[in-house]
Amino acid sequence: MSSRRSRSRQTSSSRNITDDQINDLVSKLQQLLPEIRDRRSDKVSASKVLQETCNYIRSLHREVDDLSERLSELLATTDTAQAAIIRNLLMQ
Amino acid sequence: MESLSFSLHSNLHSLTLLQHSNQNKKRRKITHQNSLALTPWTSHTQHRLYSSNLLLALRRNSNPTASLQVRAAADRVLAATAKGRTRWSRAILANPFGRWRKQRQRHHKKVKNCSANKCMKKTTPDIRRRLPAVQKKARVLGKLIPGCRKVSFPKLLEEAGDYISALEMQVRAMKALADLLPTGAPPPDPIGLS
Repeated sequence: MSSRRSRSRQTSSSRNITDDQINDLVSKLQQLLPEIRDRRSDKVSASKVLQETCNYIRSLHREVDDLSERLSELLATTDTAQAAIIRNLLMQ
Repeated sequence: MESLSFSLHSNLHSLTLLQHSNQNKKRRKITHQNSLALTPWTSHTQHRLYSSNLLLALRRNSNPTASLQVRAAADRVLAATAKGRTRWSRAILANPFGRWRKQRQRHHKKVKNCSANKCMKKTTPDIRRRLPAVQKKARVLGKLIPGCRKVSFPKLLEEAGDYISALEMQVRAMKALADLLPTGAPPPDPIGLS
């Protein structure tokens, strides 16, 4: 009950977000998701967008994990001179 | 100190349309980031900047670099490239070495169930039917993005968009870096995005 009392009208009125603004944010997020990006004409629910967002972030995390392991193995066989050459290549 | 207990009212506050700021534990106002000031993750400049800084960070370590250290360095350089403009990047930079990774690996499978009427007393009947599913997925999403466990729903959506773009750039840069490094064995097949 104490948390209920912490609500105040001023907060409610000053921080009001309309449905349209949330729908706009969900729509922008949908454009970033490969799974449902191309369904522009179809109406995808906010719940579906959030689910696909979680799945996509998890897959990106796994990919970064795999690349970290691969880079770790490659760096073990690379000496300083080669790394300097690579750095010059990157700066081109 | 991060609270591990499920805060029902906190989530309810952050998800209801009438009140979107979190009043239960943090009373300071959440300033909205100007989206134009966010990092343009698709630009070549950011890609090159990230790759160069990541290589510098990895070479700083004279010992053979473990996979976890590569991962931690990749995340810290990514957050530095974002220049602390977003909540997720500030959360990564604020955490000691590797701590965010441990948090990321934690699994929270227990979900406290509650009746819709009890949770959504003051919302309209139309929103009441939809909100629980969105609320659950928003909580899961908040745990996947650094520093976004207890942010408002609109803020969570903004942070998610920027974080996805940053991760995509990170994957591109790390793939290019791995291809540049010489290898005796054929490189493993990269995981293609669906």
